[in-house]
Amino acid sequence: MRAWITTHVQAIGRALTRFADQPLATSLSIAVIALAILLPLALYVVFANVRDAASRLNTEPSVNVYLALTASDADAKDIEKKLTTIANSHNVRFISRETALTEMKRVTNLADLFTGIDNNPLPHAFAIKPKLLDPATLASMRNEISAIPKVETVTMDFEWAKKLARFIEFAQRIVVLFGLVLAAAVAFVIGNTIRLQMLTQKDEIIVARLIGATRHFVRRPFLYFGAMQGALAGLIAVIVVIGLIVWAGAEVNALAASYGADFTLRAPSFLHSTWVILAGSALGWAGAFISVSLYWRQIEAGR
Amino acid sequence: MIHFSNTTRRYTNGFEALKGISLVIEKGEMVAVTGHSGAGKSTLLKLAAGIELASAGQVHVNNQNLAQLKEAGRAVLRRNLGLVFQDHKLLFERTVYANVALPLEIGGFTHAETGKRVRAALDKVELLNREKAYPIALSSGEQQRLCIARAIVNRPSILIADEPTGNLDQAYAATIMDLFTSFNQVGVTVLVSSHDETGLARLQCRRVALAGGKLVE
Repeated sequence: MRAWITTHVQAIGRALTRFADQPLATSLSIAVIALAILLPLALYVVFANVRDAASRLNTEPSVNVYLALTASDADAKDIEKKLTTIANSHNVRFISRETALTEMKRVTNLADLFTGIDNNPLPHAFAIKPKLLDPATLASMRNEISAIPKVETVTMDFEWAKKLARFIEFAQRIVVLFGLVLAAAVAFVIGNTIRLQMLTQKDEIIVARLIGATRHFVRRPFLYFGAMQGALAGLIAVIVVIGLIVWAGAEVNALAASYGADFTLRAPSFLHSTWVILAGSALGWAGAFISVSLYWRQIEAGR
Repeated sequence: MIHFSNTTRRYTNGFEALKGISLVIEKGEMVAVTGHSGAGKSTLLKLAAGIELASAGQVHVNNQNLAQLKEAGRAVLRRNLGLVFQDHKLLFERTVYANVALPLEIGGFTHAETGKRVRAALDKVELLNREKAYPIALSSGEQQRLCIARAIVNRPSILIADEPTGNLDQAYAATIMDLFTSFNQVGVTVLVSSHDETGLARLQCRRVALAGGKLVE
């Protein structure tokens, strides 16, 4: 057991020595790997933030009916009765022009702008929850409502939210695909670094094997080296992403606030960051393992 | 201790380097294998070290049938053998100390134990004052002594040396052969191959001669 621990400690020591022996080459390859991890990580963080913000949006299906400005309170009551009789109408909520104005002032911080206007520019409106959401039924519903006198506009606002949700779903899949491609690139870069190291240390490997080194003994420092490179690159990528969020976060938050949106750019959590570093390390280990396995025969042929 | 039983070594191109060799080397014995180049001396030693495997017949070392050992098992077996190579197989980017320490690194020895053993081995071959030098700075004789130091640092029970005096002048060759005798005198089994009759004359040991892959005496 003691010998086993000693061989592992020595393997880590040899891996660290390789770092120290080739600082420039190692740093460059870590930088390339960090970049390969950074790109999908940054995209993931952006989409995670967008998804988070989108989840707070009201995506409840709603058909909005805006009446003409000339429509009186009595007209609104009359129209409400008609709307409740429409077959696809599940629930009808009246939003008076006064309520709409108060809400608009609150949400958009535009109270100052409205102080100079004598008349309320907003119409009475209704929000209708439809029973069925298929396009044909909704189109028929829209035509039916539009035909009611004093109805100015009919919108189906939930469509954009659905589109946004679909776009986020699509973007997440692109990020996953992008991540997989770049994970393969990380393994390839580390594998290539290990291959070059194996070739430069060919003599040492051959001699070590002749005097009693097992394949595990020879392979171990390369695996540790790959894992260390991946972990370091993952750590750098996490630090850069956090740095970018700190740098741009205040501006993004201020921009969102100016539109009345409740949006805060969030950095990856400690758990996510740990996973990224572990994933980088695992990729490094895998790349090194594949490389050592591939080039082992080549080295052994020289024994 | 080392037992060849009707051993044949045939390469993939069909060439038979050894043909039905039967030979027993007892514990504590010193045996010199002689013969011209291509006689099969190096192949015999590689089979004894488990570097190559017999195509037919068997090789037992320390009562272990090498053909039945897995690759890792043969590697572990080699840790208990001292191997001296004709071309030294030194690592020129490592210091003298680090070259000798390599078998101990493989064996998982601690730093302190490694230091103690390396210095003892270097002292034995009179290279203690060169521990920080690189092999390139050593003469051929010193390089061969360095190779011997690396072979004995593990305190092996068997020492296998392939043409250890091949590239050395007579004075150096005599020193090397005297070293092997001294190891044998403390109980180490020595199997040494050479075509240098002058060097072998210093060894008071059994001789086996190979010719065309067969034992001839």
